[in-house]
Formats: sequence, C-alpha cells, structure tokens
Amino acid sequence: MSALVSNILTQVFITLIAVAGVYVLTGLTGMFSLGQAAFMAIGAYASGLLVVRLHMNFALAVVLSVLMAVAVGYLIGYPVVRLRRDYISLVTLGFGEAIGALLNRMTFLTGGASGLTGVPRRVGLPLACISAVAAIGLVAFFKTSKYGRQCIALRGDELAAKAMGINVIRVKMTAFLLSVALTAYSGALYVFYMSYVDPTGFGWKKSADWVIMVFFGGVNSLTGSTLGAFILSALPQMLRGLQNYRYVVYAVLVLLILNFKPSGLLGEWELTPGNVKRSIGRLTEGRRRKEEK
Amino acid sequence: MALLEVKNIHKSFGGVKAIQDFSIEADAGEIHGIIGPNGAGKTTIFNTISGVYTADSGEVYLNGTQITKLEQYKITRLGMGRTFQNIRLFQGLTVQENVMCAFDPQSRYTVLGGLLPTPKRLAEEKRGKELCEKYLEIVGMKDYLKERPENLSYGMQRRIEIARALMCEPKTLLLDEPAAGLNPTEVGELTELIRRVSKQIGFAILLIEHRLELVMSISDLIHVQNFGKTIAVGTPDEVRQNQEVIEAYLGKED
Repeated sequence: MSALVSNILTQVFITLIAVAGVYVLTGLTGMFSLGQAAFMAIGAYASGLLVVRLHMNFALAVVLSVLMAVAVGYLIGYPVVRLRRDYISLVTLGFGEAIGALLNRMTFLTGGASGLTGVPRRVGLPLACISAVAAIGLVAFFKTSKYGRQCIALRGDELAAKAMGINVIRVKMTAFLLSVALTAYSGALYVFYMSYVDPTGFGWKKSADWVIMVFFGGVNSLTGSTLGAFILSALPQMLRGLQNYRYVVYAVLVLLILNFKPSGLLGEWELTPGNVKRSIGRLTEGRRRKEEK
Repeated sequence: MALLEVKNIHKSFGGVKAIQDFSIEADAGEIHGIIGPNGAGKTTIFNTISGVYTADSGEVYLNGTQITKLEQYKITRLGMGRTFQNIRLFQGLTVQENVMCAFDPQSRYTVLGGLLPTPKRLAEEKRGKELCEKYLEIVGMKDYLKERPENLSYGMQRRIEIARALMCEPKTLLLDEPAAGLNPTEVGELTELIRRVSKQIGFAILLIEHRLELVMSISDLIHVQNFGKTIAVGTPDEVRQNQEVIEAYLGKED
C-alpha cells in the first residue's frame, strides 16, 4: 500500500470514530451539536499534553483524556439535555468556539496558534482501523440496546416517552456522553498520528461536516452514516488534483443525494446478517426468474 | 385508601379554568368513564393526573403515594399507564420495540450492557421480550412483532398503544378516547378488550370517550364534565336521566 493511501485511510478511520459519535447524538437522539469538534480538540490536546509535558504512558494518557472530555461533556451537557432542540445547536456552537479561542490564547500550555508540537507518533493504520471497527461495533450494540430504543423513542415524541417512564434527561445525557467519549478518542488518535495539533480545524465547520456525513449516508442508519463518512472524508483527499474545485464536487454530490434521497444513501437499512441474507435471497430469486423466462 | 385518589384538583391556563375541583376515587377492577362536550377539560384531567401538568391545588395519590408534584416519568414508574387521544406510537421502531420502550426504564442493565452483549443484558432483553409478547397477545397483536406501526390500521395501532401502556405494569390505566376513529366492529372488539384486561389484570381504568355506546356499556361510574366542572357523577343510568347532563349535551328547553 502506498504511503498516500495509507495516510488517507488512517485519517478516514479516525473520522469514522467521531462520526459514530455524531450518529449516536444526531441520528439516534436527534440532538444537533455544532461544538462536537471541540471535544476532538480536547481529546487531542489533553492526551498530547499529558505525554509531552508529563511523559505519561501513551495508553494511560488516551484513557485520561477521554475521561477529561467526558467530565467537560457532563458540565456542558447539563444544560444542553434540558434544552429544546434548536437551542442545543446554539449552546454547543458557543461552547465549541470558546474552546477554540481558549486553545489559541493559552499559549503557555497549548502553544497557542502555532500549535502543540513534538507529540510522539504512536498511531498507525492498524490501530486506527481496529479502533474504528470497535467504535462502530459498540455503537451498533448501543443502538439495539434499551438505550438505543429509548433514544429513538424520545427523538420522535418526548411527551409519549416520558409517559412510558423514560427518564428523557438521563437517556439524552448518556447518549451525549457516549458521543463525547468517541469524539475525544478520535482526537487522541489524531494527535498521536499527526504528532502535531493546532487550534484551527476544530470549529463548527468540522462539526457541521460530520452532521452532513451522517445525513448523507442515512441519519437513521449506522451503516449509512459510516458509509457517508467514508465517502465524504475520503473524497476531498482523492480529488486533491482539482484543488479548490473539489469542494464544488463535494457540495454538488451532497445536494444531489439530499434532494433525491432525503433519508440518505441507505435510508434505514442496516448491515445485519438477517438483512444481508434477505438481500441475497432477493438477488438469487430475481436471477432464477430470469432464467425461467 | 383507593388505588387512585384524586382530591379536589384545580388547573388554570391564564384565565381559562380548565379543571375546577375535580375528584375521583377508583379501585382495582373498576372502570370510570369521563364524558363531556369538547373543551370540557377531560384530557387536561388526564394530563394533570399523569404529570404532564402540575395541579394548581389539590392532591393526587396513586396506591397511597402522593404523586401530585412528581415528574411524569416517575409517576409512570409508580404505576400509571396511559394512551393518547391522537395515537402517539414511536416512529422508527417496530411494534415490538415500541412496546419494549415501556419496559426499558425498568430493565436492569447498565451502560456497559448498553455497549456490549453482557449476560445481564441478554437475560433482561429476554425477559422484556417475553413480557412484550404476553401483552401483545392480550391485545391480539402478537403476529405483528416485526411490523412498523405506521403500516398497520388505526384500530391495530390503538391496540398496540394499549399493549405499550400495559407494559408499564400500571395500577391505574388512563385511556384517552380509545375508540376515536374506529369502525363499529372495532369498537365492539375494543369494548371487549377493555373489559377483559380490567378483569384479568385488575387495575383501575379511567376512560375518556365520546362514543357513548362504549362508555355507557362498560363504566361502573360516570363523571360528566362541562367547562371544567363536574356536573354529575353516577351510574350510567343515573347520568342518562340527569337534567343538567341532558342540557349540557342538547341545550336547554325554553
């Protein structure tokens, strides 16, 4: 495998982990966060600083950084899960931009605009790939658990959910913190892959990108969201030759899909053994009929 | 003390007095009908009892526990099941998942079980599915586990909603116009179903209904509401002959 392909794939896998988190938040629970990328920044900076400044063990630093992000997530989540949908986006937007500004200003700690350098490279394609598969697996289990069901229920009808005994605030918080943990983990992988991180690129645009990926692939399908993230995060890298025009291609593609298939590429379809068997069954059925003719 | 005891509740929205001094005592096995013209405050009574709104004054007791100011989900967990006037099943979930949602708050596994198939999770999911099948069987919808409710008829959706409410293991069941939009055959089946669960499971049922043939035939006691006030309480026969009730429905004779 060429270095270029390996580089693209590693970054795509790291993005997949974050998008799995966004799927939990936006796809399952219906909450739109425009500050999600800030948790990636927290994961990246916290783990990077722990290793660079305190010479901590890499694995321990990653675990600690995820826990720190979850603690911050709990503070910001406390008001967020009590708010109406549109206000959630506003609060998380403000939070995300504030984190960006803080990282820029706290030069003594973060290196400010010139970024945090000298982080050892500990992550390669294999770890990124395994992590992505594990993250998606966990989210798949989450979706079919009581938590996933309650998320989908309250996404559609909060009042009816409460009337069924669902603690809406608590379920929303669980989903929010899971998404924060995944995003922070992807941030930690990012910094130990790039061996460098600066505050740009963790603003609301990145958060919005992730939401677009989820909708592009299918907001009600984890398989779809993953596929969407895979295509849309690999695409700009593959179209490097087109320079800035690649964003035109990206935008047109997204518009076309959302216009002609509003539920996303895969709609609600999930990659499960049962569904695959059914699809294969349908294929062979069609072929048999053709042969009979 | 009765299973459900509502003592003199009041509820106003600005200048509108939606409920004025409503009281009810309902015991296991009893069916109480609540009737009245549109805007009489019937659904507001349900919403206040079940915790969507908090009463301005008065008290509500469920099985001896004061629930007047509790949050809605806590009231449900103490044993309050309900259905809605306009069906409110969850979009994006199958029939089975819809009913399971009412079990999930009582399901005893942690976030770890939410992320991995732990033995505890598997056992609890199995227990939930068995209960789910039991209640869907009671309402006659066991063959539709994997269907999406939106693809089923209105009458079937009503029955799934009842199964979901039963899944909360209620001590009091609030049915808000369960016969709305049903054809006469379906109303007959529904009447039979309500009577059956009332006997079989043994809880107090409060029933808001406009279809008088239904409410008159199965209610032990009928409360007639008009403009937020209770204008009559009695057996179906007593209510039928009450002058004030006739006036509320048909108007006054000059």
